[in-house]
Parts: sequence; C-alpha cells; structure tokens
Amino acid sequence: MTGSQTNTQAAPSNGGLGRERIAGIVLIGFGGLGLWAGYDLPFMTSDGVGSGLLPRLLSFVILGLGILQLLLSRKDPGPSTGRWAIRETIPVILGVVLFAVTVRGHHLGPISIPSLGLSVACPLAIVASGLAARDARLGELLIFAVVLTAFCIGLFRYALGLSVPVAPWFLGY
Amino acid sequence: MLDVFINLGLGLAVALTFKNIALCFIGCLIGTLVGVLPGVGPVATIAILLPVTLSLDPTGSLIMLAGIYYGAQYGGSTTAILVNIPGEATAVVTAIDGHKMAQNGQAGLALGLAAIGSFVAGTVATIVIAALGVPMTRMGLLFGPAEYFSLMIMGLVFAVVLAHGSLVKAIAMILLGVLLSCVGADMETGRERMTFDFGMLHDGIEFVVLAMGIFGFGEIFKNLADPESRDVVRSRIGRLWPTLKELRENTAPILRGTFLGSILGVLPGNGAILGPFASYAVEKRLSKRPQDFGHGAPAGVAGPESANNAGAQTSFIPLLTLGLPPNAVMALMVGAMMIQGIVPGPQVIERNPELFWGLVASMWIGNLMLVIINLPLIGLWVKLLRVPYRLLFPAIVCFCCIGLYSIANDAAQVMMAAFFGLVGYALYKLEFEPAPLALGFVLGRLLEEKLRQALIISDGSPLTFLQSPLSAALLAIGVLALVVAVLPAMRRGRDDVFKEA
Repeated sequence: MTGSQTNTQAAPSNGGLGRERIAGIVLIGFGGLGLWAGYDLPFMTSDGVGSGLLPRLLSFVILGLGILQLLLSRKDPGPSTGRWAIRETIPVILGVVLFAVTVRGHHLGPISIPSLGLSVACPLAIVASGLAARDARLGELLIFAVVLTAFCIGLFRYALGLSVPVAPWFLGY
Repeated sequence: MLDVFINLGLGLAVALTFKNIALCFIGCLIGTLVGVLPGVGPVATIAILLPVTLSLDPTGSLIMLAGIYYGAQYGGSTTAILVNIPGEATAVVTAIDGHKMAQNGQAGLALGLAAIGSFVAGTVATIVIAALGVPMTRMGLLFGPAEYFSLMIMGLVFAVVLAHGSLVKAIAMILLGVLLSCVGADMETGRERMTFDFGMLHDGIEFVVLAMGIFGFGEIFKNLADPESRDVVRSRIGRLWPTLKELRENTAPILRGTFLGSILGVLPGNGAILGPFASYAVEKRLSKRPQDFGHGAPAGVAGPESANNAGAQTSFIPLLTLGLPPNAVMALMVGAMMIQGIVPGPQVIERNPELFWGLVASMWIGNLMLVIINLPLIGLWVKLLRVPYRLLFPAIVCFCCIGLYSIANDAAQVMMAAFFGLVGYALYKLEFEPAPLALGFVLGRLLEEKLRQALIISDGSPLTFLQSPLSAALLAIGVLALVVAVLPAMRRGRDDVFKEA
C-alpha cells in the first residue's frame, strides 16, 4: 500500500486510481486476507458458535464493502492520495527496529545482538528517527540524544521503577 | 438526590488525601503538556504510562490517567488559540475563532473564556456522572449476555453515525477492528486463529500496541509528511479575565456547550469529538451576529471548549457503570483497571465505591487545578510551543518504544506497533478514520464473548436477541439510527455540522 509514490501535480489520480478506488481495493485486500488467515477454522461446532464464525462473517462483509466502495467510486475515483512520505517513514521505522533489536538483544539466524539496554537503544532510536525531519541537524540531534537518554533512564528505570535493562554490558542490569 | 452528595462526600474524602491530590496534579500537568504539544495525544501518553501504574493503587492510578485525559482538553485549546494548530482533535473548532481572537490582540480573553467554560463544564459533568452512576449501574445489572451484545451493536452503529466522511468506510473500519480483535488464541478452545503461526500473535494483539502504532507512530508519519507551519502569536496575550459583561454574554454558550458535550460524550466513538462541532454550529445559528463567527467570536470559543471538556468527562459514564469503553482512551482505562485486578462493569460501584466516587470527585478537583495550571503559567506553555518538531518527534518515538517494551518486556511488541504505524498512515492517506477501528477492536472481544454466551444460553437460537424486550429495543434503536443516518437529508445535516466549522 505504501508503494505508490505519486506527485500531486504530476499525476492527479495515482495512475487512474483515485483515493476512493484504492480504498476499495484495500478493503477487498483486508477481507481476502481475513478469509485466507481463517480458512481452517470451524464455522459451527456441535455446541454452538465455532471459532471461525465471526472472523469469516466479518471478512466476507469487509470484502463486500470493498466491492461496494469500488462501485460507488466508479464515476468519481476521488482525488490523488498525494505524495506518500516514504523518505520520512523509513528512518523512523529504522529507529524503532533498532530500539527493538538492541534493548534486550535479538537473534536472527547468524546475527546475534547482545542485550545492550536503554543506554544504547535510546540514542539509536532518537538519532535514526530524528534524521527523518527535513530540517534535521546531526550535531544538535546527537546532543539531544545524550540528554534525552539520560532523562529516560532516570525517569523510567529509577523514578518509575520499570524493569527495562539500562546497560547490561556496563552495569550488569 | 441527597445520596449523590453523600457519595460525592465519600469521594472527596478519598480524592483529598495527599497522595491522590499529588497524583491528580501530576496527571493534569502531564495532560496539559501533551495537550499543548501538537502531535502527542492523550492516547499515546496514557499507553506509555500504563506499565507505570502497576506500582500505584487502583484509585490513584485511575485518578492520574483521567487527569491526563481531561487535562489534554485544556492544553489543546491553548495551542489552538495561540498557534492555530489544534493541540488535540477536540480543539479543531477552537482554533477557528480562538486564533482570530488572538490575532486581534484578545488571546488572553480567549484563553480565559476557554478555561472558565471548561471549568463550568467540568463541574456540571462531575455532577452528571455522580447522578447517573447509580441508576445506570442498576440498569447494567439487569443486562444478560444478549442485552450486552445488543447494546454493543447499538454502540457500534452510533459510532458509524457519528463518524464523519463515508458511511461505507466507517462501517468497514469498525468491522476491521472487530476482525483484528479475533486474532490470537480462541477464548474458549484456545485454538490459534489467524496468527499465521507468528509467535507474537498467539496471545492476540494488545490494544496498547494497536493504539500506540496508529495514534503514536501513525501521527508522526502524518506530521512529517505534511509539516504544519506554526504561527505562534507574537503579540501580547492581554488580560485573561473577562469583564462582567463578557462573562454574561458567554454564560449561555458555555451552558449550551456543556449540555451538548455531556450528552454527546456518553455516545461511543466520535462522541467527545463531535461535541465541540455541534456546539459551534448551534452558537452560530443562535447568534445575533453569525457573520462574526470565523472572525473572532468569543462564543465560538466558549461553547466548543465547554463541550469538549464536558464530553471528555461524561465519556467515563459507560465505562464506569456498564464496563463498556466508548473510545480509545476509555479502552486504555479498562487496561489500567485490569492491571489492578478490577474488572470493569456494573459491580465496580458496589465493590469499589472508593474507586468510583474518588475518581468522580477527583475530576472536579482536577478541573480546579487546571484553571490554576493553565492561566498563570501560560507563559511557560508558550515557551514550550517553541520547541521545534524536529526534536519533539524523536523524543516521542523514544518514549513510545520504552512504553511498548515495558508492556510485557517484549521487543516484538515494539516492532508490531511500528507496523501498525504504517497501517495507520496508509489509512489516513485513504481517508479512513482510525477512531471507529479502535472502537471495533476494543469491543470486539467482548462482543464475541457475549454472542457466544447468549447463544449457549438460548441453545443456539439467534432469536434470543429479539425475544428479550430490552435487547430488541436496543437493536431497534440501532437500526433506526442507521436508517436515519443513511437518509439523504440527515446525511447532509451531518456533513453541515462538520463543514460549518
């Protein structure tokens, strides 16, 4: 869904698809995904509602609404969705993922990251995501990351008593 | 009627302990802060602070979290008036006339009226909650599974009716929310549903993760893509207190706003957001000088501001009396109660009277504090508004990550929220509203549970929903609301309410 990058001025309707049509297609996609995900669930069992009844019913209705949405947008596909902020989302997602894999370590195939704690995870998340801003300044961001990390460790670990690792490689917790 | 005051007295005794006053103050302060800062809402904030409440007692934690919610309504208006960006979704309307007033050199008056209106609304809403608490609870106790199911269906229909934009899209969002809530182990058989064998989906999707993804990260993507130009009022703020004449002129708008906000706040979905819009439309229609609206009419600030604060508070009613959360914030309150081992529902008022009445009384105290926090400290909030967004959002990302990780000391939740952030951004681009999705998700599990219970009791006959008169009546109201919403005349009226603002 996030793949269609079009400029508002250059292509007024996402290459023939307007916002409303894409919305319809997305709904059909959601409905289809729901049906596929729940295809093996029993619809009804001998003693009442099976675990598949509600999911399948909902998926069918969502699929139907998607088709309805497509039909409604036949005449007016709606304006273009405009520019998708790919350049802004990637650094933020990267920052969040970096936080997730470093805070308590992560193992994925041959790569294995030890538990590095907030002292590493926070600055990584702040700097990586901060670069998403068009007016980002690296120097300012680095200083800000150090200050904010210290603040977060003080607030969440010491003042609020959450059991987040701080710096296992240095402090042992 | 006397009972109400006796109960409120009990509540005041609970709320006025040193610890609870302190928690209320902290909540209001944080609430004002996130309200003032555009791009951070009460949903993300409460979600971040949820793990923290583990170390507090139930009453104290709810008092603090509630303070964040209604505190944000106060803070949101400050930003709306001074910067022309709504600090919160409920302050959209305030920005129109509030900012014009500020440009005309009446910023102080706008802020003062907003604060006084909010305080009056908060006081009235507190009494409304106290008065409705016991009767609503009695009604809730009469409800069996079938009635609860029908009530939730009615609530979801109302959420569709109150959502703005396309009906098809709103219905689809609600159903998608319910569908997402089905992911994870089946509550009866434990069988995995729609998990694609992902370990992190086995226990289902946490509401906090969904909420932080869509309302936290999604909001950041949105703001980064379309940066809003900030136009902080540079002129002086001027006197804060209105003259007696101005106060008299705005008494009626404040009271009407309070009334509308209180009613709409109880309704599920967009209720609390609709309140200010409705108030603005009413004031414009009743005004002798409707042409002033949009150019700095004080009534266009006083009315909507009262409405949003009243709505924020009365939205606690369905949660506290029936155990049904009407919006995302209240769903997080459910989470906060569950952490403490309290199951929301009509039994809360009986079993935990100190919690119920303490919370209600704290709201009034909180409103009093907010007037104090907001008016004299206005200079501080203005300074805060000068923090550039390029530093604000990395801080939000960092806080969200820590909050998400702390839910279950599980980094997978952090990643899942990032994914929902992307979904939320896509939904925003396609003009799907996130509020109905969140509501569908919140009520989804309860809905299925009650559906199954009702069908077991009735030996599988779906007629049970029509045979119980109460259940049938609730469903009938739902159908009626849907029919009315589809009628072309009504649809136009509904769009007008949003458009006029």
